[in-house]
Amino acid sequence: MIEIKFQGRGGQGVVVASEILARACFGQGKYPQCYSLFGAERRGAPVAAFVRVSDEKIYLKCDIDHPNHLILFDTTLVNEKQISQQMVPGGFLLRNGDNSYNSDALKSHTVGSVDALKIARKNGLEAIVNTAILGAYVRLTEIVSLDTLLKVIRDTVPGAIDQNVAAAQEAYEKLSLHQKM
Amino acid sequence: MRMFLTGNHAAAYGAKLSRPQVIAAYPITPQSPIYEKISEWDGQGALGARMMRVESEHSAMAASISASLTGARTFTATASQGIALMHELLHFASGMRVPIVMVNVNRSLAAPWSFWSEQTDSLSQRDTGWLKFYVADNQETLDTVIQAFKISETVFLPTMVVLEAFYISHFMEPVEVPDQKLVDDFLPPFEPAFRLDTDNPAAFSQTVTQSQYAQFRIQRHQAMEDALEVAGEVDMEYQKAFGRGYGLLESYRLEDAETVLVTAGTIGCTARVAIDELREEGKKVGMLRIRLFRPFPKEQLITSLRHAKKIAVIERNLSPGQEGIFCEELKSALYSRVNGIPVCGFVLGLGGTNVSPLHIKKVFAITEQMNEAPLKPILNIEDEDAFGI
Repeated sequence: MIEIKFQGRGGQGVVVASEILARACFGQGKYPQCYSLFGAERRGAPVAAFVRVSDEKIYLKCDIDHPNHLILFDTTLVNEKQISQQMVPGGFLLRNGDNSYNSDALKSHTVGSVDALKIARKNGLEAIVNTAILGAYVRLTEIVSLDTLLKVIRDTVPGAIDQNVAAAQEAYEKLSLHQKM
Repeated sequence: MRMFLTGNHAAAYGAKLSRPQVIAAYPITPQSPIYEKISEWDGQGALGARMMRVESEHSAMAASISASLTGARTFTATASQGIALMHELLHFASGMRVPIVMVNVNRSLAAPWSFWSEQTDSLSQRDTGWLKFYVADNQETLDTVIQAFKISETVFLPTMVVLEAFYISHFMEPVEVPDQKLVDDFLPPFEPAFRLDTDNPAAFSQTVTQSQYAQFRIQRHQAMEDALEVAGEVDMEYQKAFGRGYGLLESYRLEDAETVLVTAGTIGCTARVAIDELREEGKKVGMLRIRLFRPFPKEQLITSLRHAKKIAVIERNLSPGQEGIFCEELKSALYSRVNGIPVCGFVLGLGGTNVSPLHIKKVFAITEQMNEAPLKPILNIEDEDAFGI
């Protein structure tokens, strides 16, 4: 079982991203579970969404405190120490942005980043970075194929379908992988 | 067909497959997605029922009672403040013996204002004469709604299917949605012998004398007792037709268990994971999940727990000044036949706080240390020193 946390802000498409990923896993015959932490429910407020994926039925009906994968839509929400404290060692971390970092705290993880905001804007999606993030995420983790992801994006996003597909494809190409230190 | 659904949508599919003729409801978080999904089908002309968008939950239940009295299969859904507002009419519904099926999404009651999971809203309606199922996941939500219509229409009592906010209502999971034909074969149309009919005028619920009232009350109680057997039979029949059954109590690794965790709802789902881990450590522990709360399956409960050395009840509700409500009911059931098993009551997850396998394992460790059952509920398991573990 893999536990995945999506962390970002209201308006970035965090909740929809978790749903798209879960549906993609479901489409591949997996048993996913998907939920969000609802709080302020307004733009800019911190938002977290979660996905569990397994080959078998999942019995857990509780929060994910220690994800295997962490997808940071906004890197200002947590510092490196907080990231390493919450993540299970040996996980995948995807960061939105091109900032580099130099901490030993993340050395057990595979870390990737992508400038999803730049890609989203280029494709006319404003600050809705979710599909770009997902493109980079499936490249980083190979949890589902890019084709599967693109199909679910087409079926799920409420508008700007071609732009969302293009953003996911571009981010897939532009993922940069950080070397383990 | 296997679909990826929230618990709310699983409830809506369960209702639609049961072919209700009237749905009267009022939206309230976290039940609103049920209302919205049914409205969406209504808008598409795909519902097959008359949807009544009423102005309050009180009206929703009033409309449901009236609709059911005309012989229409009737569904509604609510939560929290909504079920509290319905309270008066919940007694009316069971007293008038209408087989309404209602989903209640457990949400914390105000004050303070919040939206999270807690069972106290439905448990506050304990004595209203409704059957009450507490379900543990999305699949069981769908299956229990269908079962509920069959049970209700057999014993002429309304049924509440209770699911927890967010941990079911907003969790998405794979759900097997059965074919309409299978459900039609299982659940024939509702045809009551007595109904409101303008061609054959009759009245329901007139003023009665003292002794008549007493008779009606006793009949209602007897119907509730009959419902125990009916609910068991319907579940077995459902298992035959759909390949899924649950029992009135769900037991997990109970055979040689010395310590038994008793719970209801989603904690019973998560507890399986904790129990598997404890079993690997060699601990003799099992679980009993209360699925049907009214009528209360006392005899089965006593049989299942007779050989337990210790019992820990874990529940997401609290009766202020007393303890968790399931714990109180369990002790009352055991007292008549099996005395002396220490029952430790843990109240966890209030207001939708997290109950993980770690919490459940801690409950087990604390219970192991207990020599005497505490008189008060244990509300805080964080302070490990307090329990000497």
